[in-house]
Formats: sequence, C-alpha cells, structure tokens
Amino acid sequence: MARLRESAMKCEEMDELLPDYLKGKLNSDRAARVEEHISQCSQCRDEAELWKKLALLPEERPSESSRARFQAMLESYQEGRWEKQSLAAERQKFLGLGDLVRWLRTPSLSAGWACVLLLAGFFGGRYIDRDTTRDRQLAALQQELHQTSQLVAISLLRPQSSASERLQGVSWSTRVEGDPQVLDALQQTLRYDGSVDVRLAALDALKAYGQRPDVSRSMVDALGAEESPLVQVALIDVLVELRNTNAIETLRRLENAPDVNPSVRKRADLGIRQLS
Amino acid sequence: MTTTMSDEELMAQVRSGVGEMLGLLFKRYQAPLFNFYLKLTGDRTVSEDLVQEVFLRVLKYRQTYRTETPFRAWMYQIARNARVDYLRRKKPETSWDPEMSPAVMPMDTAQQSQESALLHRALMLLPEDKREVLVLSRFQDLKYEEIAQLLGCEVGTVKTRVHRALQELREIYQQLPGRALRGKSSEGAGAWPGSGSLQ
Repeated sequence: MARLRESAMKCEEMDELLPDYLKGKLNSDRAARVEEHISQCSQCRDEAELWKKLALLPEERPSESSRARFQAMLESYQEGRWEKQSLAAERQKFLGLGDLVRWLRTPSLSAGWACVLLLAGFFGGRYIDRDTTRDRQLAALQQELHQTSQLVAISLLRPQSSASERLQGVSWSTRVEGDPQVLDALQQTLRYDGSVDVRLAALDALKAYGQRPDVSRSMVDALGAEESPLVQVALIDVLVELRNTNAIETLRRLENAPDVNPSVRKRADLGIRQLS
Repeated sequence: MTTTMSDEELMAQVRSGVGEMLGLLFKRYQAPLFNFYLKLTGDRTVSEDLVQEVFLRVLKYRQTYRTETPFRAWMYQIARNARVDYLRRKKPETSWDPEMSPAVMPMDTAQQSQESALLHRALMLLPEDKREVLVLSRFQDLKYEEIAQLLGCEVGTVKTRVHRALQELREIYQQLPGRALRGKSSEGAGAWPGSGSLQ
C-alpha cells in the first residue's frame, strides 16, 4: 500500500521529469530517480517505452516532383512575377492567344470551345447577315457569351480548382461586369481562398464594385479574418481608397492585435487617420 | 562554402533578394517539414502541398524575417499557420479515417511494420493539439524551449502537455485491437539502461 502511494505521488512529479528524461536532459542523479520510479510504475514505464517505440515510425521521403514544384515556384518568382503589385499583367497573360491554346487543354476545354465558336459565330454573323436581324442576333449572342463567361468564371473559381485555374476564374469574372453570381463567387474567393495570389486578384477585381454595400461589407469582413500581411495591406489600401468608414472599427482591432505584422499595424494606423 | 552557412545567414540572403539561397533551405527542411505534416495529417498529397505553401510564404514574407530570430522557429511558426489556414479552408467531411490509412510503413520486418502501423493509427487517433506537441518534441527535434516559444506558453506547460499526450497515446495504443503493450513491457522492467538518454 505504502509503496503504491509513493509511486502515485511520484507520478505527478513525472510531468516535469519524464519529458526531460526522454530527451536525455536530466543529470544522472535525477535520471536515476526517474528510472527507479519507472521500475515500479507500469504506466510511466509503458509511456517511456512508447516514446522509444515511436522511433519505429519511419522517416518518409517526399516525392521527386516536389523538388521540381519548388524549383518552378522559385523560378517564377525570380522572373519577377510576384513582385508586381498589380495583377493586371497577369490578367493580360491569361487573355493572350498562347494561353488560350494552353487553356484549351485544361478540363474547362468544352467551355473554352463554346466561347471560340460563339466568337466565330459572332464575327461570321456580322459578315453574312448585315441586315435587319443583326441587332437582335447580336444581343442574343452577347447574352450567350455573357452566360458562358459567367459559367466559366464560376466553375473556375470553385475551391476544387487549382490555384492557377482560380486565378483564371478571377480573370474571366471581369468579362461579366457586375454579374451578381460572379460577384458572390469573387467575395467567397476573397474571404476563403487558400492562395494569397488568388485573394489579391479577387480583391483587385472587386475594387470596381466597392461602392456596393454587400461588396464593401465583405471587404471589411475579409480584413477582419485575413492573416496574410500582404493581403491585409492591400485590403486597407482599397478600403481607404473607397473611403469606407465602416472599416475603422476593424482597423482599430487590427492595430491593437498583439500578433499583427508591424508593417500592417503601421498601415492600419495610417488608414484610421485617413478615414477619420 | 554556402552549404556551411547557417539557416539565419541563408535567410538573410533570401531576404535581401538572393532567391537561390532558398533552395538550400528547402534542401534542409523539405523532409523534416514533410514528415511533420505527414504525421499530423496522414496524407502525403496534403503534406507536400503544405510544404510548398511554407516555402512560398517564406519567400513572400521574407521582409518580416528578423535575423536575430532563429530561422527554424520562424519557419515552424509559418508551418503552423499554413496548416491552420488549411484546416480552416478544408471541408470538414474529409476527416482522417484509420481504416483508410495509406501504407505509412517502414520497409523492415513484418513485425516492425505491423507495430509501426499500429503506432501510426494510435497517433492519428490522438486529439490534434496533443498530436502536434508530441510530433514537435519527438520527431522534429525541437527543444521544449523552442516549442514553448512556438505555442506561446511556458516551458513547464509544454512538458506537462508532452506527458499528457504520451499518457493518452498509451491509452489509445493499448486499446487498439492486436496490441497489448502491458504484457510485453512489464516483464522487461529491468531492461532500462542506466543512462538517461533514449534518443
């Protein structure tokens, strides 16, 4: 009985001692005490045994392709791709002919072809039918083009798409100006997308609609939830530019948050003064 | 040569715009980070994506790195944030299912691989926060002081958490079908080495 109680009392001490013992950080005196306890207490012994056994879990090797992915990322960075403040150039790239060809090989192939055919029809129609029905056909074609672009933008913006596809989705969204469904998808992207690039692009695209109450509100919400200093600063810039006074409260919170990036804090501070 | 440069020196170079130096840091930390994520998520693809995300963030936030901070601590901070962001954005239905576990096994003997498969299962059944502290201390070779800094708590708290995690792991492990730790180890009570070092 006495031995049991002694052992139980020592178990509490193990909180501090055992982890140090397991890391080999105890002097011989204290290590001996731990070992004495372990020899009597099966639970602590099993725990130490388990710690040792964890070494059986193998060191896994990442796939070969991950090194290549890293290199590609690094190279694209060194080409200065990310240094651009504005993603306008990025958008230009996606709208280029070369990219259209590349894009046709992606899963969104069918939608792409639909657009190409529509455009062909559009120009063909202009040549063949210059008469009375022209305006009506033109309107119908534009309507279809709008719907196709909307569809493409929304489908590319889904979270299941890859980052570059989502970036293309943002680019497509600018073709359907003011479409409520696309604006909604863009707001979701700004708030929840996993990639900083894509969130920045979404913000860029949403800027034009910053006066709309829903967009303005979602920008303030996004600032409240955002953790990337890059996006935080970009959001503050836009909110100040739009003179969104509703952002002041969020900016104050950001300014006083303990773990916020110093540059963000400075920008938030300036933003409050600019907006007040 | 460059390979003997410290992490901090390399990161200082990256910060000042010498992007290639990041390749050396990647070489050093790709595998440790991958194993960190793999033990936390049990998913190779997700782990590889997260490793890429960490280095992307290192590059993007390089200006926020201060040379007096140990690079490792800074990197693990980024790694934890990347994972938190991932969990926040991930759909909740894809939780880990022990039955669907991919073969994360060593190439050793059959008994060892069975043992390590069981350990892996037990680890994955541990609550997230406990698993993390255990992985950080056992596999990432971080000092308790470093973990305390990372988690923003006292060193004593880290040790207590490690011990609690180990206790819970033991309970889970012993309840797993096909395994009874007690039967084997209580006989070998005298088998403990005189030295305090197990690593």
